Amino acid sequence: MDCDNERLVTLLARSAQGDRQSFASLYQQTSAALYGMCLHLLRNKDEAQDVLQETYIQVWHNAGEYHADRGTPITWLMSIGRYRCLDALRRRRHHVDFDQVASVKMSEDAGPMERADAQLDRQRLSDCLKDLDERYRSTIEMAYFRGFTHQELAVAMGQPLGTTKSLVRRGLSVLRRCLGS
Amino acid sequence: MKPDSFERNQALASEFVVGTLQGAARKRFERWMMESPRLRRQVWYWERRLEPFNSSLPETEPPPALWNAIESRLFPAPPQATSERGFGLSFWRWTASLAMAAVLALLVWTPLPSQPASGLVAVVQSEQAQPLWVMNASAGDHSLTLKSLPPVAAGTDQDYELWLLSESGVPISLTVLPTEGAELRITLNDEQVRELLKSRSLAISLEPKGGSPTGQPTGPVVYQSQLVEM
Repeated sequence: MDCDNERLVTLLARSAQGDRQSFASLYQQTSAALYGMCLHLLRNKDEAQDVLQETYIQVWHNAGEYHADRGTPITWLMSIGRYRCLDALRRRRHHVDFDQVASVKMSEDAGPMERADAQLDRQRLSDCLKDLDERYRSTIEMAYFRGFTHQELAVAMGQPLGTTKSLVRRGLSVLRRCLGS
Repeated sequence: MKPDSFERNQALASEFVVGTLQGAARKRFERWMMESPRLRRQVWYWERRLEPFNSSLPETEPPPALWNAIESRLFPAPPQATSERGFGLSFWRWTASLAMAAVLALLVWTPLPSQPASGLVAVVQSEQAQPLWVMNASAGDHSLTLKSLPPVAAGTDQDYELWLLSESGVPISLTVLPTEGAELRITLNDEQVRELLKSRSLAISLEPKGGSPTGQPTGPVVYQSQLVEM
């Protein structure tokens, strides 16, 4: 565990005991990453700020539930925030900006994956994604980065719903085999 | 039907984390997760594995006002205890009682937050992931049913007390919990239901027999749980 993680674990543990100062430090050190993710998924400042607020309220109440099996503290915080973002997306009736779908699929620029640094687990995910069939890769990325549902993916890719569902499932299964345990 | 094979669990866990599992299927999966440590571990596997996706996104500093909003929701400022020069004590007493009346009116008139259609459920587990209590809340009839599962036993001079962690940060006592397989149903008042729907967070502390003598937790908080929609 590196120093950053150790420090965050300590801050979480102290927050769980009601230490407000530690909770404030935890917020200071992690909120930019969470807010960045929420903005990326929701593409709406007000909603992203609402979700961020709810996320940290939950973190304060549940700090004691963090443990190492959940990954690093940042993995845990991001997961809480991400599920809340997905809930917010699902509450919207039409959140898909289909103009942007094409740019996700066609972009020649370095995607978020290519920007991932050389840290081992990032590298592994990046390598496995590169090895994935393009159709699998783009469905997984669209679902993860845009929060697309099966239905939305099907519309975005011009494919039947059933085909889309099995693409996602097979893609994830191939990805898991590559990632190992 | 619960997922019954390793491959099926894997597929559902990965889709839960990626987000394509949705609607009723997602809710069902959340309930299975509460009952199955194995399923939870698979979800955590995917959360860890896909974490680099998140950390590859650009960071953005949230506006400073956001922290203030979080802080004031979690830790509202205590009321001023000292009177300022120029106003007698009776003035403050009077003002305070007016303020109290306003708070009461607010409580009476604040509509309940939107209620989940089919109720909320929480399963409290031990560190070894053994289920200890199952709790079902129904906002419709204000009831909270608490069923203890056989492994729960408190010492002869102690009880487990259930607290609602309100958003203001002050725990609200709900009841002393049943043990050894017993079931208890309590009725919540409007304020408790309102807080429950907002925070959905519960904590259990170990207290002297009969519950905390002070109205606030005096013993260690031994478990925490979150109510989720069924």
